[in-house]
Amino acid sequence: MKFNLKIWRQEGPELPGAFRDYTVDNIIPEMSFLEMLDALNEELIRKGEEPVAFDSDCREGICGTCGLVIDGMAHGPKLACTTCEVRMRVFEDGCTITVEPFRAKAFPVIKDLVVDRSAFDRIIGKGGYVSENTGSAPDGNAIPVPKDIAEKAMDSAACIGCGACVAACPNASASLFVSAKISQFALLPQGHAERKSRAQKMVGQMDAEGFGNCSNHAECEAACPKGISIENIARMRAEYMRSLR
Amino acid sequence: MSTKLLQSTIGRKVLAAISGLALVGFVVVHLAGNLTLLLPDGGAAFNAYAHKLASLGPLLWVARAGLLVFFVTHVLLAIGVRLDEKRARPDKYAVTASKGGPSKQTWSSRSMLVTGVVILLFVPLHVWMFTLNQGTPHATVEVHGEQVKDVYLAVVTAFKNPVKAWAYVAVMVILGFHLRHGFWSAFQSLGMLSPKCTPAIYTAGVVFAALMAVGFLILPLYMLYFGPDPETLRAVVSGP
Amino acid sequence: MIQATERSILNSKIPAGPMADKWSTFKANCKLVSPANKRKHTIIVVGTGLAGGAAAASLAELGYNVLNFCIQDSPRRAHSVAAQGGINAAKNYQNDGDSVHRLFYDTIKGGDFRAREANVHRLAELSVNIIDQCVAQGVPFAREYGGTLANRSFGGAQVSRTFYARGQTGQQLLLGAYGQLMRQVDAGRVKLFPRREMLDLVQVDGVARGIICRNLVSGEIESYAADAVLVATGGYSTVFFLSTCAVNCNATAIWRCHKRGAYFANPCYTQIHPTCLPLLGESQSKLTLMSESLRNDGRVWVPKTKGDKRPPHEIPEVERDYFLERRYPAFGNLVPRDIASRAAKAICDEGRGVGATGYSVYLDFGDAIKRLGQATIKERYGNLFAMYEEITADDPYHTPMRIYPAPHYTMGGLWVDYNLMSTIPGLHVLGEANFSDHGANRLGASALMQGLSDGYFVIPYTLGDYLASNKLPKVGTDHDAFKQAVAGVKDQTARLLAVKGTKTVRDYHWELGRILWDQVGMGRNAKGLTQAISDIRALREDYWKNVKVGGTGDDLNKSLEFAGRVADFMELGELMARDALERNESCGGHFREEYQTEEGEALRNDKDFCHVAAWEYQGEGAVPVRHQEALSFEAVHLAQRSYK
Repeated sequence: MKFNLKIWRQEGPELPGAFRDYTVDNIIPEMSFLEMLDALNEELIRKGEEPVAFDSDCREGICGTCGLVIDGMAHGPKLACTTCEVRMRVFEDGCTITVEPFRAKAFPVIKDLVVDRSAFDRIIGKGGYVSENTGSAPDGNAIPVPKDIAEKAMDSAACIGCGACVAACPNASASLFVSAKISQFALLPQGHAERKSRAQKMVGQMDAEGFGNCSNHAECEAACPKGISIENIARMRAEYMRSLR
Repeated sequence: MSTKLLQSTIGRKVLAAISGLALVGFVVVHLAGNLTLLLPDGGAAFNAYAHKLASLGPLLWVARAGLLVFFVTHVLLAIGVRLDEKRARPDKYAVTASKGGPSKQTWSSRSMLVTGVVILLFVPLHVWMFTLNQGTPHATVEVHGEQVKDVYLAVVTAFKNPVKAWAYVAVMVILGFHLRHGFWSAFQSLGMLSPKCTPAIYTAGVVFAALMAVGFLILPLYMLYFGPDPETLRAVVSGP
Repeated sequence: MIQATERSILNSKIPAGPMADKWSTFKANCKLVSPANKRKHTIIVVGTGLAGGAAAASLAELGYNVLNFCIQDSPRRAHSVAAQGGINAAKNYQNDGDSVHRLFYDTIKGGDFRAREANVHRLAELSVNIIDQCVAQGVPFAREYGGTLANRSFGGAQVSRTFYARGQTGQQLLLGAYGQLMRQVDAGRVKLFPRREMLDLVQVDGVARGIICRNLVSGEIESYAADAVLVATGGYSTVFFLSTCAVNCNATAIWRCHKRGAYFANPCYTQIHPTCLPLLGESQSKLTLMSESLRNDGRVWVPKTKGDKRPPHEIPEVERDYFLERRYPAFGNLVPRDIASRAAKAICDEGRGVGATGYSVYLDFGDAIKRLGQATIKERYGNLFAMYEEITADDPYHTPMRIYPAPHYTMGGLWVDYNLMSTIPGLHVLGEANFSDHGANRLGASALMQGLSDGYFVIPYTLGDYLASNKLPKVGTDHDAFKQAVAGVKDQTARLLAVKGTKTVRDYHWELGRILWDQVGMGRNAKGLTQAISDIRALREDYWKNVKVGGTGDDLNKSLEFAGRVADFMELGELMARDALERNESCGGHFREEYQTEEGEALRNDKDFCHVAAWEYQGEGAVPVRHQEALSFEAVHLAQRSYK
């Protein structure tokens, strides 16, 4: 297969970027999108050109490192997958593919397609945990958790922190990410002691990082590789309102 | 609490939802009243309804003030969301597309500001035309033995003008689009939805929006094509 | 002052006393750092996975100043995140006869009697605390309807002791540790350094006192000083190029420590996981693991006749060879990983493999679907089947999956004593980066257990003992040792960029991987290993003459990052081959074709090889020195592993 690529190139955070056109050939349908970019980079290195910088790690959809906007969609055209899980067979042979970084003020571009998502870490630092020092835990079965609650909490906890929700949101809102973590601990009894301060502090940090507000487009849920539901956003709002009481 | 609400994105969203739902309530009542225009009684019911409202006196002013507060709040918060959006993504994408699936991104969700601005511009005009009775005939009619303003005549006269009637239709379609996203979105913003009830509320929102739009836009069209001739109407009312 | 000469003797520092009391004895007698003094100590932790993240958080909770480094953009992305199956713990919640001793025994036996008993016993004891800790942190483990924790049997264990969170156990445990870590970062007790790669260890007076890193964004070479250095950078399976590991997994941190004097133990112990997707082409960047749980219902087979190219559904039952069930009637498709992998390789080497390359075997769910119905199979493995179909475009409900083994985990690593300290005083090694607990083969659901045990429960005690027992003069990054190390790192970067040859880093890594896979993979022999050593040496020499690295050293440059890692892999690969060559026996993941039973099973040589081989670096190109730590077995009896 052969593809024409329009790839965003940007040398550094403060520097202006622009699209550059590339052509890749001899791509097999089984190749992942990132393996296709690997092939392009090998060619660029051989030609003495600067390879395209992009982040990736596990290449099986669990680490949340990779993330590109492909033809205007975070993680490409397929639902429920990360960029590294997109196979080239989903594209038509010979087509032109536009590749951009995740764009948001809170995710500044570092280079080419690599962005800085440390805002997410700072949000987690404000309450994405149960304050539990090592060694102080009671027996595991001392805290019973109903099966359906555990399953729901797991649905929320499945978030891989890739940032596709922000990238896909027309407002660049981080609501899905933040709400998934708030939900996990709002559902589980272990999280209840801190639920008020958690909602206050995490939402406060989300706002301080410069993410946009949520307009309930639910595009985040469509972009989420783990299919995390906007139900979490509703729950976050309820948690937040409850924290003001 | 209220300052905290205004300071956080979630709080602003909640306020937008509450003010939006209040306005939805007003729209429903307003439509119910307006539908009396369709009764073949030469406007008696409609004028009675208008008179009833007017006779509320200070209460009416309280309601109007409340409505204004909700309206202004809703508008300001909407502008805030839009500014947030601009600020949160200074560099735009070259290509954007919806992934479909669970996405509820539609023209109507993307155009809340545009549809909102149209409604914002429409409301003062509407008030000017019908509440303040500007550019429409002044006449009185007897209701329960009292001489009151003939609002029915004003409406009929205005909508006999095809430009005005079709402009109203257009605005009501736009209101429908606004409600299509706004209705279910308000419940989501208030944290009241779950995967079980979201589809129902979402569908209800679409149906509600369509009902409201159709309900309102029938009125100018009815008046334009089937309504009584204002001249004869005036003759009737200015009779004995 | 610590004597650097200590490292010439491999003193494992195992506490005296009965096996079951050793850890409590240690805890009762270890020295403590007073609360007021803890904040005066700065500790470097490299890595933010289960071991590193747990250690950094726990040490900060105690009051130490922690500097925590990772190569990823966020600590949450460490490769622990990818572990699917679960975590073992001797809770005996199922009342099925489990106990600390049984978990200890199973781990020793699974490791083919090549692990240190005292460490493994401590691991089994601590497994219980780990579950409690993680539950309290809000890790959403699977539950029974009554609200208690659910367990499953995993990797052929005879008891149900595996705790799990769907197929994302590693992720959930890591997020638990990451949450605790971020809490400490927010409190200012941990300073986080993401996108940093450790490129050298700095010693002052023979004691580990700091590290040199490359800032992967700015390209700057940075120095950090501390009172102790903890390395928890994971395993080295990516030496094979294609493995189940993340593409950024590497051995650079531990290898540079090795070059600075830390012994490297049992480098040849590598685990090849049996249920992975087969290689599709040369463009592939990794091999995807399919959970081992698939073997609970899938049947592994190949055609009986060599070169049978018929599609699977056209091959009648009588012409199929269910080779695992045939060779291991008692355990069948559930034999330990090393055995299943080797059997698949042997069949493919015979020419009976399937697929275009002939290097894969069928994993067939046909019978299970007939027996349980498609709905049940979908419920159990739906996500895995979807993933398989996504990658291969084959529907496993109707046509058997094709699988082949792939490098997955490395039991070898830097040698550490009972206190997790390497042969360099002050340098502690945690998790997969050390060699300690899994012997020659790791059992399923044991890696998460070890990482968390090292990080949460072992290092807080042993590090305190180290700090309280030694007087550590203040050292800053202005010390000459730092300046020299920085110069060395800069020099290597400059050398790599200056070669400007014709072959890319990936070309070399691919070639190295092929050599190792063919000769130092699932089946090894003296001839092949000798050949591999000379091939790798030649490849390494060529690398430094002909490699082409893209970009510059002054900013984010993935090509340069990989170039440094591959340079280290070349050296490590040679050591793996050398270690495999010297170990004249077969045990666990190390299978020497010369040493097998008549039935083709691994044949251990306890008389000559019941020891840990710890290698001492002797300089570039020089032959390293092999040291031994004898393994004695008090609590279990050495026995031939049998799964027949």
